[in-house]
Amino acid sequence: MQRLFFNCFLAFNCFFVFFGCSEEQNFDQFDDLSVTPLVASSIFYLESDEQFINTAAAFGNFYTETFNFDAFNEQFVAERLIEGTITYEIENTTSKRLDIIVEFLDEMGNTLDFELFEIEPAPSEMQTIEVPYGPGGKSLEILAATSNIRVTGNNLGDNTSVSSNEEPKIIMRSAAEFLFRLK
Amino acid sequence: MRLYSLLFLATFLGVSFMHSQNKQLLYDFYEIPQSLMVNPGVKAMEKWHVGVPVLSGLSFQAGTSGVTVNDLFANDGIDFTTKVRERLLDVMNRKDDFSTTSQIEGFNVGFRGRNRPDDYYSFGMYGETDIIVYWPKDLAILAFEGNGGANIGRSFDLGDLSLRGEMVSVFHFGINRKISNTLTVGARAKIYSSIFHFRSTKNSGSFSTTEGQNNIYANSITSDMQLQTSGIDGFLDIIDDDTSGNRRERLERLFTKKVLFGGNLGLGFDLGFTHNLNPQTTITGSLLDVGFIYNSKDIRNFTLNGSATNEGVSIVLPDDISNTGTDIWQDLVDEIEESVPFNENESGYISFRPVKAYGSIRYDFGEGKTKTTRRNCGGCLVNNVSRPNEDFYRNSVGGQLFLMKRPRGIQGALTGFYQRRLGRSLALKTTYTVDKYSFSNVGLGLNLQAGPVNFYVLADNLLAYRNIADSHYASLQFGFNIISWNGN
Repeated sequence: MQRLFFNCFLAFNCFFVFFGCSEEQNFDQFDDLSVTPLVASSIFYLESDEQFINTAAAFGNFYTETFNFDAFNEQFVAERLIEGTITYEIENTTSKRLDIIVEFLDEMGNTLDFELFEIEPAPSEMQTIEVPYGPGGKSLEILAATSNIRVTGNNLGDNTSVSSNEEPKIIMRSAAEFLFRLK
Repeated sequence: MRLYSLLFLATFLGVSFMHSQNKQLLYDFYEIPQSLMVNPGVKAMEKWHVGVPVLSGLSFQAGTSGVTVNDLFANDGIDFTTKVRERLLDVMNRKDDFSTTSQIEGFNVGFRGRNRPDDYYSFGMYGETDIIVYWPKDLAILAFEGNGGANIGRSFDLGDLSLRGEMVSVFHFGINRKISNTLTVGARAKIYSSIFHFRSTKNSGSFSTTEGQNNIYANSITSDMQLQTSGIDGFLDIIDDDTSGNRRERLERLFTKKVLFGGNLGLGFDLGFTHNLNPQTTITGSLLDVGFIYNSKDIRNFTLNGSATNEGVSIVLPDDISNTGTDIWQDLVDEIEESVPFNENESGYISFRPVKAYGSIRYDFGEGKTKTTRRNCGGCLVNNVSRPNEDFYRNSVGGQLFLMKRPRGIQGALTGFYQRRLGRSLALKTTYTVDKYSFSNVGLGLNLQAGPVNFYVLADNLLAYRNIADSHYASLQFGFNIISWNGN
């Protein structure tokens, strides 16, 4: 009986030994996996009507604000960011020539980089400005070290004229598309 | 002795590559006592049986309805990321799954009633692990490609996340009753002791990035997601506890306690029947694991419910001029977290066992030598119509249907089989099964009876062994029993 069982066991294992094959596998390939999602998100939106610009711009400057912005220097983002683009869209329907300055500040308030946008009075087309970061563009270190963003709006014209457009405004939109390496 | 050890090791190593909840080879293979576990109403032939502890019934199954190991890891020189994209992301859909099931019998005993010889009682204990993870297609694409570029405007379905898993020990007692020469019915009561359980199956919601109302993009999330767990934290606490040196002992103690009714408890039952339409044609059916477990101990649930839309920091003048100096970025983050809060709770919950159903029709043919011997086996008088017809016919052919409740609906399998009995000591069964995992699943089962000792081995998807790494499905069951045959 023992022999019978042994023979069955032997036959069973012979089946797997002789017929159970597998192509050569290389599990180290997993190390080569590259996961690089492209993440898109708006950053900030600034809108001001012409009346406010006229009222506030006694000395040219109608708005300055520094706000905390840690999205870029979050450890997860800072360590994995490969490249990216920040897109600005500017629409001016006021009668004034304006400029808007976006400054990237570190934790100590030092300016790391800035973008200056000179905006012609209406009628003017919407400006779209794309600022690349990473290879071929500005340094990623700017983004990784950015802790605050300062936005400044200056009125380069008068403070009495009013555009004939309906609800004249200056609008600045901004968004980022960043490529990350998750693996 | 060394050879025996090597063979035994090879057996177990072989087993580790195989898988399936569907036990089509075991079903209605009534020469094997464990067939009672898939149909409590099978035509039980034994006077009594005792399974060899731990070795009476082992089954291992693993399956993938999509990509195989070979698809990804074959040493073919193709860039691995390209393979992941072309063979995983572009091909698999939310109904594809990765699943594994294993079952190990602790003990299994059966005996025929002395006063009620038509009744065959069986009881025992087994452990079962069952895990299924559906391919979270949209979430995988979101992780791989992101929400930018071509995915602007695409809605990612958060409901694609669906997974369920558990490990339970099951204590059972069953009665198999021969109602007449043509009908046998059976039922089995079960007590479940859950070792761990997790599920995240009723998720819904979406994440999308579209053109914003004010700003360039609007990221929107609507989420109704939940992950329920029980029995896991206890193990994790021990693993994370660096202060104690006897970590392994504590894990073993906790595991043993949960196996022996110390886990979350539940109840269930199985039902089954065998009916001879005529001397050569038999139909069978069974319903297994109709039951539930009430998870009340060691609970940790996670929820993500709510909806939010984000267009970044927004400054509208002159309305927001008074917000000068406020931490508007952190306010935005807080607002989103408040709208879509990630919470934990310890609420108990009921989990249902994955119900399974079998049905079959069998046609016996090919008369063997007529056996008219009558045996006096004490309590077997009612069944003393010599060996049943099935024993008289050496061949059986038929079909089986298997259905199982899965988180995303009923999963089915259709099997055709042929069974051949070679004397009283050897029976072979071969099957061809079609299911979501494979259209070329040919299985072979062998039951060997040498005196009172019974050995069986059932292996699925044999064609896949030409390249096991390319198999979508593998399954192996085997066991040893000591059997005393009934005289019927």
